[in-house]
Amino acid sequence: MIPLIITLLLPLISSLLILFMNKENVKLIKYFTLISSLITFLISLFLLFNFNNTNPDIQYYINVTWVSSLDAGFRIGLDGMSLLLVMLITFISPIAILSSFDSIKTREKEYYFMILLLQFAMVGVFTALDTFLFYIFWELILIPMYFIIGIWGGKNRLYATVKFFIFTMVGSLFMLVAIIWLGNYVGNEILKTGFTTDYLKIKEVANLIPLNYQNWLFWAFAISFFIKVPLFPLHTWLPDAHTEAPTAGSVILAAILLKMGTYGLIRFNLEFFTSASIANASLISIFAVIGIIYGALVAAIQTDIKKLVAYSSVSHLGFVVLGIFSMTAIGIQGAIIQMVNHGLSTGMLFLLVGIIYERRHTREISEYGGIARIMPVYATFFAIAMFSSVGLPGLNGFVGEYLTLIGAFTSPILNSWGYAIAASTGVIFAAVYLLWMYQRVFFGTVDNPSNLNLKDLSKREWAFLVPIVIFIVWIGLHPSTFTNISENSTRKLVNKIENVKFGITPYPELLKNSNLKTNSNQINNNKIGK
Amino acid sequence: MTITQSYLNNLMASVGYFAPEIAIVVTFIVAILFDLMFKKSKNIAAYISIIGLIITGFILSGNIGISKSLFDGLIVVDPYSTFFKFLFLITTILIMVMSLSYKELYDNNRKVGEYYSMLVGITFGMFLLASAVNLITIYLSIEILSLSSYVLAGYTKEIRRASEASLKYVIYGSLSSGIMVYGMSLLYGATMTLDVAKINVAILSGHVELFPIIIGGLMILVGFGYKMSAVPFHYWTPDVYEGAPITITSYLSVASKAAGFAVFIRFFKDLYLLPATSDINIWNTISNFHWQTIVAVLSVLTMTVGNFVALWQENVKRLLAYSSIAHAGYILMAVVVMTNVGITSILLYFVFYMIMNLGAFFVAQLFANKIGSDDLKDYIGLGYRSPVLAVLMTVFLISLTGLPPTAGFIGKFYIFTAVLDKGFVWLAVIGVLNSVVSLFYYAKIFRNMFLRSVADDTKNNFKFSAPAFPLSIAYVLAFATILFGLYFSPILNWAENSVTMFK
Amino acid sequence: MYLTTFGIVLVFFIVGALFVAVGLFTAALVRPKNPTPEKLRTYESGEIPMGSPWIQFNNRFYIIGLAYIIFDVELVLLFPWSVVYKTLGWYSFIAMVIFLMILIIGLVYDWAKGYLEWDKPNPVIPQLNELIIHRKKVNKEN
Repeated sequence: MIPLIITLLLPLISSLLILFMNKENVKLIKYFTLISSLITFLISLFLLFNFNNTNPDIQYYINVTWVSSLDAGFRIGLDGMSLLLVMLITFISPIAILSSFDSIKTREKEYYFMILLLQFAMVGVFTALDTFLFYIFWELILIPMYFIIGIWGGKNRLYATVKFFIFTMVGSLFMLVAIIWLGNYVGNEILKTGFTTDYLKIKEVANLIPLNYQNWLFWAFAISFFIKVPLFPLHTWLPDAHTEAPTAGSVILAAILLKMGTYGLIRFNLEFFTSASIANASLISIFAVIGIIYGALVAAIQTDIKKLVAYSSVSHLGFVVLGIFSMTAIGIQGAIIQMVNHGLSTGMLFLLVGIIYERRHTREISEYGGIARIMPVYATFFAIAMFSSVGLPGLNGFVGEYLTLIGAFTSPILNSWGYAIAASTGVIFAAVYLLWMYQRVFFGTVDNPSNLNLKDLSKREWAFLVPIVIFIVWIGLHPSTFTNISENSTRKLVNKIENVKFGITPYPELLKNSNLKTNSNQINNNKIGK
Repeated sequence: MTITQSYLNNLMASVGYFAPEIAIVVTFIVAILFDLMFKKSKNIAAYISIIGLIITGFILSGNIGISKSLFDGLIVVDPYSTFFKFLFLITTILIMVMSLSYKELYDNNRKVGEYYSMLVGITFGMFLLASAVNLITIYLSIEILSLSSYVLAGYTKEIRRASEASLKYVIYGSLSSGIMVYGMSLLYGATMTLDVAKINVAILSGHVELFPIIIGGLMILVGFGYKMSAVPFHYWTPDVYEGAPITITSYLSVASKAAGFAVFIRFFKDLYLLPATSDINIWNTISNFHWQTIVAVLSVLTMTVGNFVALWQENVKRLLAYSSIAHAGYILMAVVVMTNVGITSILLYFVFYMIMNLGAFFVAQLFANKIGSDDLKDYIGLGYRSPVLAVLMTVFLISLTGLPPTAGFIGKFYIFTAVLDKGFVWLAVIGVLNSVVSLFYYAKIFRNMFLRSVADDTKNNFKFSAPAFPLSIAYVLAFATILFGLYFSPILNWAENSVTMFK
Repeated sequence: MYLTTFGIVLVFFIVGALFVAVGLFTAALVRPKNPTPEKLRTYESGEIPMGSPWIQFNNRFYIIGLAYIIFDVELVLLFPWSVVYKTLGWYSFIAMVIFLMILIIGLVYDWAKGYLEWDKPNPVIPQLNELIIHRKKVNKEN
């Protein structure tokens, strides 16, 4: 429990400490931030080692009452899925901080304050087990992100920030209404114990809500998450925000913020509104598939490397959504591992784009060519990140995409091969646009004289790229280290889903857990009630 | 002679509970006299008023938890009114403290004694208004409140927009109070009594004509709507808010609005809802007249118009004025449901709204002291010229938007809870969409402050901060804004206890 | 019920209006008509008005008027009080003293501020501060 509290609060405390530091002493601020985030990472390793993989329930649960009249509390905890994502945050944050040592040259104090505040809010989102608390963390993300993009961003940043802000806000406010309605309905109509925002309480009974209400609630939550993911028609803020954000901002945005949406889909939509999720699964999967193909096609015609990577995110996150709404254990496992993968590979791509942007101050593909001769190490790292993103077997991307496609293929709820077949074309397109870009940037002759004097990677850049590469290879070669962590949590969820849909539990070994039994009993009661 | 005697006894018994109001009157008189006597010290009236109001606060705390009808039912003292009275007191004291550092007010060697004593006068009117349960007292206290506000709105009379504001305020004010008094006369004509509770009894007896009651109620709504600056009675608001001294603007947008809501809720709750049991909603059964729908439409109009017009404003004062109209709309959402939960959420919202709105106006005032302008385009780059103030401003604006972890979020959360509790999902959704619109223009202010940099002409590039004392006030307000976003149970309990006498 | 009560009032209004209209109309029929320029003047007494009547009065009239009305209304309260104050005793006496004190403070205020002096030795003409007038120029950048 204590490591979890430290993981959550240490970034907040450090960010407040930064406020008291002298603005001129940039070095102190930089290294203080870095060390604090490294300590956070080390402490979060305790979470990983003490985690009990066989237990599908929430671990390290902390419950402190906060507002008694709302039954809102400071309830945090981890299960397999959120543990992986929290580890991703604590792993990526020091890298993002290290990567901005050179690129951020103005108002460093405010910058590092914002980054640490952002880290606090992100860990909060993935650990909160209370709808009220979750919403607070969810909205808290907006403020530092707004300033990170807006102050340290590119030329067109005003437009990008406003778009980002408004899009996210629209979605999250619908979620707010749904949270209140849900708390009211569950508390006063079902449990009759008064308004509640307790995630575990709501989870037990939320599927008793009649389907027509459930549908509304489902969409209110889902719209908010889809905007964040972003799913196909709601994705337009993403390329703008990515291109305008500073490198660290893009990395965090791609690696973690987008995962908030997919995490929310599993955590809230599937858990709470299981019936509505089943009913809407095919529709959403169609959008996911469109997103996969559309994102890939649009990425192919980009002339800006960063924008290309941004659109590739739309495509990759489509796989995640498809995996989630396949509602099979394999598919959801694939989605979770794909979230981590995307965080690593796209994060790394953004870092690499940032490195070359710092040297040349342009991201136009046509400005480059033959870079591999001048910066061989850089080209190698880029190749690893690119192949990981393409999904080359042996690297991490392959595992995630493969599992999600299998999930979609075998899903009894989608019940069609079409989704998987259409989505797998996305893999091909990914290879096309990434390899083509790689060829134009790195191969050929050096025809732009300003590229001749580019320096290869510095030690600092080595330092933050190597750890990512290690994990890219590790997940690619031995994914079960990671899939084991979330496996039982996922299976428990799938038990619930299949119980609602078909009345069977595919993973009976988990039934020993009394929690699930009451769950299925209530679901059966629900059926009788209807 | 027994009638006179009993009347006298009643009077004497009531005076004790009327002590806070008496203290205010004494403060008023003493402040004026001392201002006349000590002409050399400029702020003597201010100090006396602040001390007097603090003493009033102590006296008022003796009334906590007391529920009593005073002066033969002219006014009542109950937790509800006491809650609002504390709100008014704190607002007034804060405004006085803020005014001490307001440059425009002290320009031209102006005498400011009347300014502070007029603020005391407004407070007296609002105190009465929160307690009023008789048509005559309601009218009188609204007039006391209005007359002092007219004067204060035009206090910096050599500034043309202030004079314009004052005149507009008088004209709109007298029109709406005329309509309101006509409505009151209709109510009186129909029921032959001025006491709100007795009017309610008369209506429930079923022996009165309902048509004049409804028309009268609507006309009275005009008067209250004017004080709350609800659309379509809001036309005075932007001009007056922009023209008046900024301290008065913030005062009107918080205290005067709260007073309007206080009397509005009590009046309609007492008149049309009491003693409505849970199954029979007399509000609706009065000849099938849907009050709820009218208030809901009013609420939707108020927040939508307020927010959308605020989008185009180029002046921060004016922008905040329109945003305060929108906030009245949010609060009206909770009036629609008229449950105890709803009224609790209104009280809660007002406490938070007071803190964040006063804070925003105060920082705008501190900016105006230095840069001499409220225009949005002059705010460009202020985040770097005066980082502390700009950050404080951002905190207040984020709270006004209703983003966590600030008090404004909690306020909105409770209002939405009350609205959804009664099943008004559509209303909540409109409220939510309006919040998004409001985000857009609030973001405009801190976008200009932080995301745009100043042009390099040295004239407009000096760095500045505020003097220590005003700055510490702003700090306290910002701290409270964040604190109440995280820990608000005491205020919530207090608000809940303050509405127990309804129902 | 209201219609009948207000109906009487309405009939009264109609009769009143008819009374005037019929009277004027019959007079116009009966009277001799002999206009001269003198008869068309504003004042038949022979005073010839000069200038426009739309002039601004000195607002000192207004202040004096207000002060007068306050003390006039005070008398209205004092009369009934003086009739019954014996039965009410000291309490009412003190109450009335407080009331009068408040009014007297108002008078003192007027006096001290110089509103009771008709001839002001050094009148101060208020100046409009044109510098802080609201700018209506629209800023295109925002």
